[in-house]
Order: sequence, then structure tokens, then C-alpha cells
Amino acid sequence: MTDNALVELSHVCKKFITRHLLPIDEETRKRRLYKKGEVHAARDVTFTILPGEIFGLLGPNGAGKTTTVKMISGLVRPDKGAVYVDKLDVDKKRRQVLRRVGVVLEGTRTSLWPLTPLENLHYYGTLKDVPGAVLGKRSHDLLDFIGLKEKKNIQVRRLSRGQKQKLAICIALIADPQVLLLDEPTTGLDVQSARAIKDKVMEMTREQGRSVLVTTHDMHVAQELCDRIGIINHGELIACKPTEELLDLFSEQVFVFKIDKPVETDEFMTIPGVVAASMEQASDGPALVVQVVRTPEALRSSALYEVTGRLRGHDRMLHAVSQRQQNLESVFLQLTNDTQKR
Amino acid sequence: MSFFRVMKAELVRSFIIMRRYWFRTITGMVIGYGMLMVLVAGFIYSRPGVENAMDRFKDNPMGATNFVLGFIIGMFAFGVVGMFTQGLQSMATTGVLEQLCMSPHGLAVNFMAQTMVGSVTSIISSGIMVYAVTWSVNGMLYWDTVPILVLLVLTFFNLVGFGFMVGGLVLVFKQVGQVAILVRMGLFALAIFAREEMLHQPFPLPFLLHMLPITDATIALKYVLISNQMVETTTETGEKIMEFSSVFVHPCFYWLLVSCVFWTVVGLTIFRILEDYSRSKGTLGSY
Repeated sequence: MTDNALVELSHVCKKFITRHLLPIDEETRKRRLYKKGEVHAARDVTFTILPGEIFGLLGPNGAGKTTTVKMISGLVRPDKGAVYVDKLDVDKKRRQVLRRVGVVLEGTRTSLWPLTPLENLHYYGTLKDVPGAVLGKRSHDLLDFIGLKEKKNIQVRRLSRGQKQKLAICIALIADPQVLLLDEPTTGLDVQSARAIKDKVMEMTREQGRSVLVTTHDMHVAQELCDRIGIINHGELIACKPTEELLDLFSEQVFVFKIDKPVETDEFMTIPGVVAASMEQASDGPALVVQVVRTPEALRSSALYEVTGRLRGHDRMLHAVSQRQQNLESVFLQLTNDTQKR
Repeated sequence: MSFFRVMKAELVRSFIIMRRYWFRTITGMVIGYGMLMVLVAGFIYSRPGVENAMDRFKDNPMGATNFVLGFIIGMFAFGVVGMFTQGLQSMATTGVLEQLCMSPHGLAVNFMAQTMVGSVTSIISSGIMVYAVTWSVNGMLYWDTVPILVLLVLTFFNLVGFGFMVGGLVLVFKQVGQVAILVRMGLFALAIFAREEMLHQPFPLPFLLHMLPITDATIALKYVLISNQMVETTTETGEKIMEFSSVFVHPCFYWLLVSCVFWTVVGLTIFRILEDYSRSKGTLGSY
């Protein structure tokens, strides 16, 4: 177990049995009702979340993000491995863990719609064992913090989607948990609501010292919000690095050569160390985009020298060379494509 | 202690909803009353025509009261078990169940409190309806507080135990909720027609009827509320007289105790096992 980790997943595996309905087999005319299959939601997943850290779990639909959240909150039991929250084994000490974790799963529907936000907080606060003396003040403080003070006495069914989502976050925070798990917190929200939620998540992590796990497939949310990012695909954690480092991982490889005239790219592909080469037409003229290997560095350097040499050989004037800044979306696509190829 | 905290939360929630939707609460009771009157008139006294039925109530008020009481107890059973089946299903669909699953008190305590509050509400509204219908048909209900409260508590735990068993199945196999409607209908019918004569069947039928969670509860409640705990006895001179015999010495009461313990233990055990299994299967809290 890692010493300072607030949440730790250690070699966690989880698979689900699926049944797909099948049509009649045209050749044999036999009907097989269903085909049994297996879906891996987690394959040997290991990561930690430190106190005061926002950890993003990125992945396409069905990658295993929600299952991971549910395993941390004890709603799903892993087949193998262990999950610890504040050094407590979730499987063995579930009730104690639940006092330390707040979860928002499909947030807009977790609240009771006939009640008001304030009544919802009182209801869930009592269920989560918040002492009566604290509950009233905390409910008002949370509604104030999240920006629902004016709506506290309006039935939830009359609130907008974004306001319901904010209320769901308040419900998750009512027991003052150390760890907050947010499953797709900004999905389906307009720009302002998404921005407000992102700001509040930042605020409560930086100022209140909570640890937050955010699952999302919105790259902008992850890039903007998270200190560290784990990318999960088919249940496999294919990358887990600080956000900047993850972006750097690929940005080193792509170089843009601004030239005066287009050039045939095929011969650049033959240069040792070059992975891909293509022409792009930008508003300020053509550019040769070359992707080179990241390591070994000597090979990468010689590849870049060779590219400039061949451009000179083709009488092309080199205006500028730059390293392309990657965004998380392209990193994500490259990583997930790589695992698919494997 | 934790149970009472959860119960307080449930009580406040129910009260707010009942107060906020007061029109629905009152119209529900009025509709219930109307339906019961029509059912009493239509089902029991339909032979000479519904218009004559109201007159015939006077001839057999005890029959009508018996039917109404059975109907209300049936509704109670239907409702309590329903909270564990359709209630659970709908909570799973809305996502509220996931939050309940994450309450440190545990799902069983949450359900127990929710059902208890629901049952108290249902007993109050049903009690008003029973009295209204009984009064309308010139019937008579005998209210003996202690036995009635004891019987209601035992009936409640009996049904809750049974509900926990079915609820556990619903946690794992969500579609069971639909099948459970049939079980609830069966309990409902049993409550309407449950009488002591029904138990005079060849073995093992009486045993099975005794072990069902509603049979003895209904017979015992009818015995207190309608028969006023009086039994017909023959004196030494051969004269038949009505004599008081407490429900607590009635065989149905003992059967009720046995089935109450049985269903509570079995229900809670099965619920916990299936809740655990549902966690492994990944179906806990979701639909």
C-alpha cells in the first residue's frame, strides 16, 4: 500500500458476463438464443490518488470508467485486486469507507425531485449520519458555495439540468467526504454550467484539500481540470501520468517544417527514425509535418538533420521549424488507437 | 440508533411529500373508498343486482365488513411487498437507489425504515377507509388496542421479511419485479378470502397456508376486529353461548409468531446474501 495515497487501486480486475441475443442461423435453421461473452471493465488496473489532487480518468464509452468509480465506492466488487480508501479496504470496511467518499453518478437523477434542494440535503445528510446540529449550517453553506442559494426552496423538478447536477455535487459533499468521485460531471451541460462546475471542483480541491476523481470523455475538461490523467481503454489503464507530462509524451515527436513549396513526402518516409510524413496547407503556406521516434535521441536528431538536408536538396526554402503542441484529444486518440492495434 | 435516524429522515420525507401533494393524498382516499363500496356491492351482493345490494348490506353487515377488512389487509400486504419490488425497481431506474446503497447504514436498514414509514402511512389511511366503509354498510369493528397493535407489528415484520427475500432477488435479477406482481396479487387474494375454514384441508396444504406471510395475520386481525375475540361454546346444559377468548391464545397467533420469526430471519439472510452477490455481479443500485 502506498503511504500517502488517499485512494489506491492495486491490480484490480473486473469482468462482466454479457449475453447477446442472436437471430436464427440461416444455414442450420437452428436458433441459439444468445451468445455468452465477456467484457473486461478492469484489467490489472493500478493507480493512486493523492490528497488534494484532481485525478482524471479518460476513456471512450464502455472503457470501464464508471465501473472503476463504482469499485471505489463499493457498489461493485473487483474480481481480483484490492481498492483502498484512506488505507481502508473497501471490500472489508465498506461502511467506514462510505463515510469518506462522496459520489456523483448520473447526477441529475440522484436527487428526490418532489423535494427542494434544502430538503434533499437534509434527507441525504441524515442518511449519511451527519449530526443534526451540523446539517443545517452545512446545507446552507453548500448551496451558497455551489450557487443554488436562491433556488434552495424550489422543487428539484423545476430546476435546470445544470442546477440538478450542482445539487448532486452538494449531496455528495454533505457528509464532508475526503474523496469526491464525479462520473461525467459536465456531460450534457451548457458552457456556463460546465464552467461553473469545473470552477467549483477546482475550488474545493485547492482550497478545501479534497481529492477528486473525475471520469470524462471530454478532453477539455480533463486537460483544464486534472493534475494527473489515467487513460483507460477496454479496461486497461494504458497511461497514467501528470497532465503536462502526458502532453509532452507526444509533443516531442511531431515537427512542422514551414517551406515555400510543397514536396513529395514518400522519400521522407525512408529516413531512419521517421514514423510519418505528410504535407499540410496552412494559411501562411505549405508545411511538411514529420513524426519522428521519441527514442533513441540520437536517431531522432539524425532524422531531423536528414529531413532538413533533403529539403535543401530539393531546393526548398525552409522558413521555420516548430514542435507541434499536442492537445489531450490527439494524445488520447493515439493511445487508444495503439491499444486497438495491439 | 442509526435505524431511528434513517427512520426520521424517511418520516420527514414522507410527510413533506404527503403535505405537498395533499390533493393527491385526499383524492386517493376518496377513490379508495368509492372503489371499495363498488367492490363490496358488485362482488358479494351482485346476484340480485347492484341497486339491491345496498339494501342487502343491512342483512349481512358482518360479511361485508369481513370482505372490506380482508381487502384492506390485502392492500397493505400488496403495498409492503411492493415497496421491495416495484419500489426498488423504480429507485434503481431513477438513480436514487445508488445513493441509498452508499449510505453507511446499509441498504437493509434503509429499506426497513422506508417500509415502516410507508406502512404507518398506509395503516392510517387504510384505517380511515375501513371505518368509512364499515360505517356505510352498518358494520361494526371492535377496537382492542393492544392485540391490534401487536398483530399489526407482527404482520408488518412478517411481510417485511418476505419482502426482503423478494427484494434481494430484484437486486440481482431486476426483471423479477414483474413476476413479483403475481406474488403480490396472490397475497392480496389470500388476505381477502383468509378464514379459519380455509385451513381445514388435507396435509400439507394447511402447513403451507400457515407459512405464507398473510394467512394467519388476516385471520387473527379479523378475529379481533370483527368477531371481537368471541367464540361459540356449549355449556353443560347444552346451551350455546358466546365466550371471550383472547387472540393471544388463538392458534393463529402462534402460527403468526412462527412465520414472523421465519420470514424475518430467512428474508434478511437472503437479502444480505443477494446484496453481496449483486455487488459482485455489478447490478447493485443500477437497473
